[in-house]
Amino acid sequence: MLDEPIRVSKLDPNFKLEVIAHEAARDITACFSCGTCTAGCPIHEAYPEYDPRKMARMVNLGMRERVLSSPYIWYCATCHNCEQRCPQNVKFFSVLNVLKNMAAKEGYAPPSWVNQTKQVMKTGIVFATEEAWVKKREELSLRPLKGDGKEAAKLIQLTDVDKIEPRAQS
Amino acid sequence: MMSRYAIFLGCTTPTRVPQYELSTRWICKRLGIELIDIEDFVCCGSNQINISMEAGLLLSAMNLAYAEARDLDIVALCAACAGVLTEAAEELKTQAVRDRINKQLSTIGLEYNGKTQVKHVSRVIYEDIGLDKIRKEAKRDLSRLQVAPHYGCHYLKPGCMSEGFDEPDNPKTLHELISATGASSIEYETLDLCCGGKTFPNSQDLAHSLIARKLDNLEGKEVDCMVLQCQTCYLMYAAQQKKVSEKFGKQYNMPVLLYPQLLGLAIGADPVADLGLNLNTPSVDKLLAKIGNDL
Repeated sequence: MLDEPIRVSKLDPNFKLEVIAHEAARDITACFSCGTCTAGCPIHEAYPEYDPRKMARMVNLGMRERVLSSPYIWYCATCHNCEQRCPQNVKFFSVLNVLKNMAAKEGYAPPSWVNQTKQVMKTGIVFATEEAWVKKREELSLRPLKGDGKEAAKLIQLTDVDKIEPRAQS
Repeated sequence: MMSRYAIFLGCTTPTRVPQYELSTRWICKRLGIELIDIEDFVCCGSNQINISMEAGLLLSAMNLAYAEARDLDIVALCAACAGVLTEAAEELKTQAVRDRINKQLSTIGLEYNGKTQVKHVSRVIYEDIGLDKIRKEAKRDLSRLQVAPHYGCHYLKPGCMSEGFDEPDNPKTLHELISATGASSIEYETLDLCCGGKTFPNSQDLAHSLIARKLDNLEGKEVDCMVLQCQTCYLMYAAQQKKVSEKFGKQYNMPVLLYPQLLGLAIGADPVADLGLNLNTPSVDKLLAKIGNDL
């Protein structure tokens, strides 16, 4: 993630304030970089570039653009080990969600999550209605699904999340 | 008194892993848990929080409100649904949050007053049915089966999921649930390793590497199958197993069961009609032969 010196002139001192304005990310400034999160992170083990401790440090330093444009913030497995084990009670999983929400607004969201939300507005679930599983359910005498996302769509539209466009696929 | 719950199917179980739903319904009927279907339920919101925590919370609140309106608590099959709905219910205990969300829910004629409780189906089996009853009801001899349990991250975490029930860093309830059926549960190094399901939509390579790490750990151990309690974990370890084998040049052949399927086998269910074990891949033939059954 880091291949050049951090230039203080490029840091955004307001970034962390912007982040902690969200209740869910309030505790990020308590991070003292012990690395318990990173040590227990299954994604870090596979992709060393994905590093919760480093991300927390980057937020606190104000590396706004680097953090929000990073593809790595989207790789979290949501296992919750980081926040379960944090001695400072930093809810890093929630911090990351706040960062992803901010990144999504700036056009960095991957197609997967954007498309799933659009699908929920149609069928109420993240999948389209397909003949194969509809038939399988019939065979097993399981009740048909309603397959209606109208009410969910009304709520989702209130948040403007339906206007988010995914980043171009690389 | 008979327990009653609204059954929360989620998105993936009913469309991709119907045998989990089938076996859960059979178990609950047989062991005295009444499941009520609410067809208005929608996605729990667990993936929406990635791009909008507010949209995710609204979807969770919508589901909690539907259950509350019918005076029911929720039992969820998916660990992630259970996790995200529990977290939402916790967050919505704060009046200010509830007021904000209710203003939005009112646009579709709903209101949530903070009453709905959410539990994962294994917790309901553990707490409402109990290990003693399972031991008493277990008639098929599973004592030759060696089982690797996989808990699933959201079954235990965040902490509010397992408070007063189990310990995220040293869990025991699934081990106990397995032992109660007569099968043995093993200990292994990567017990708490995540299945990678939530990384799959963004990076199949990443998910595959997590799946392989656990399957590698189990290779060479005396294990007849994995038993888990979430359909996403099932899709990773079972449905992706062949692809992962090919990718890494391995010959994995690890049967994977959902816990209600194992429990069903123990208490005498028909493997196909009641538990849908014929739908599991890799095949569970060898495992069934070991306990004296054919598909």
